Amino acid sequence: MIQMIPLGRVLKETVSTPYRDLVTRPTGAAVRGWIQRAIAGSEAPTTMLDFTEVGLLDFSCADEIVAKLLLDADPGTEQYVMLLGTREDHAEAIDHVLNNHALAIAVVAGPGEPPMLLGRVTPELQRVFRCVFWSGPGDAGSIAESLGWTIERAADALLTLSLLRLLRAEAGTFHPLSQ
Amino acid sequence: MTRIAEVPAYFDDKSFDLFAQGFGAWPPEERMLFDARAATWASPYGLIGMLTAAQALREAHREKPLFTVPASDEVRRYWAKTGFFKHAADLFEIHGKVPRVPASEDSDHLLDITAVGASEDVHQVVGRIQERAARMLSDELGLEAKATMGFAMALSEACQNIVEHAGTSGWVAVHLYNFRKRLGRRVIVIAVSDAGLGFRRSLEATQAKRFGDRWGDAAALEAALIQGVSRFRDPGRGQGLAGIKRYLSRWDGKISIRSGTARLSIVPKWDDDVPLAENLPFFPGSQVQVVIPAQEGGAR
Repeated sequence: MIQMIPLGRVLKETVSTPYRDLVTRPTGAAVRGWIQRAIAGSEAPTTMLDFTEVGLLDFSCADEIVAKLLLDADPGTEQYVMLLGTREDHAEAIDHVLNNHALAIAVVAGPGEPPMLLGRVTPELQRVFRCVFWSGPGDAGSIAESLGWTIERAADALLTLSLLRLLRAEAGTFHPLSQ
Repeated sequence: MTRIAEVPAYFDDKSFDLFAQGFGAWPPEERMLFDARAATWASPYGLIGMLTAAQALREAHREKPLFTVPASDEVRRYWAKTGFFKHAADLFEIHGKVPRVPASEDSDHLLDITAVGASEDVHQVVGRIQERAARMLSDELGLEAKATMGFAMALSEACQNIVEHAGTSGWVAVHLYNFRKRLGRRVIVIAVSDAGLGFRRSLEATQAKRFGDRWGDAAALEAALIQGVSRFRDPGRGQGLAGIKRYLSRWDGKISIRSGTARLSIVPKWDDDVPLAENLPFFPGSQVQVVIPAQEGGAR
């Protein structure tokens, strides 16, 4: 189950501006507060932030909304966040701020395409992430076999991806978020 | 007693120190007279610098400064079109004829002089400028379409510097003009100025100890612009200036920040400015200038 949050609409509800731009830290903090309340009130494990109606996103606002949302996530809860509808400039700002915090997030690409990862993610993690997307839920053994890696190497990468909340871990099996 | 601060004939970031020198020890005890009679041209940096000085005098509880308008009718009209006199009317006792020119749909003013004091002002500035910025960056500077978003982001972050750090309001202006002397190309200039705390005072509590004897205006600018340090302990802070630098490195732009008695710049190859200037005449608050040049072969 996925909860969709259209950020363009959230902006209109939280800040009295005729514009579509997510700029400034106070705006970002207000929008993040709205999202956190929505997540707390939802039973869906995954929340999709939809940037489709967003104009400009500056670095400060990207930091307040995306980076702090991930940083504030309660480690005891099974909550995941993905992005949708980001333009190239949105992705650039988000990638920049997430790198600064050593965080990462998945952006839903086209239908059937694996999500794109933004932030601090090594090529090795990218490869494992794509492998889980294409082959579906699996454990360290199945992923290691698909990639021709040792089980330890695959297990290490899968654990890192789940700690970054890019995969959902359940009894030793790792699931893509969008499935 | 009245003390005269002469407005340089050609008033830009290069001649700014000459203007700052006119105030002597800050804040001056005497009533100030800003003498602009000989002025022939002013960049947005110069124009908002004058407003900043007057605002700082007001905040220091000094008598309202006098202002003598440029002798040239053409210069007066240009300054009026930028919105300068609209704001100056509140800050100065103006002497001389001020033309009644509405501030502007002039093609070279991307953003007239605009007061920035709160987050909502940044929304207004960014929202208003995007369409015209897209046209100018592409038509006048030959920049790719994607440069527009980065430009608006840089503008937003520069304005937020006032909201987040100055402790008072400030001014922003964005103009397009020909950088004949230095570059021989068209440029877009973002100028942002405030009469607030300045970088040294803003960072003192968290950074002075680390720099020890070196601590001062120059070290504070270095901490903010080069090291990405912020007065907030939040690790996500300091990304605004980092974002501006990233944008400018892509488009061969320049950023220069003056605060107190120092000015630190990231200087592209086309400019001959010094990276760091120290022991300048004191000027209150912070002044930021961002210059984005036309791409070679893209200028008109």
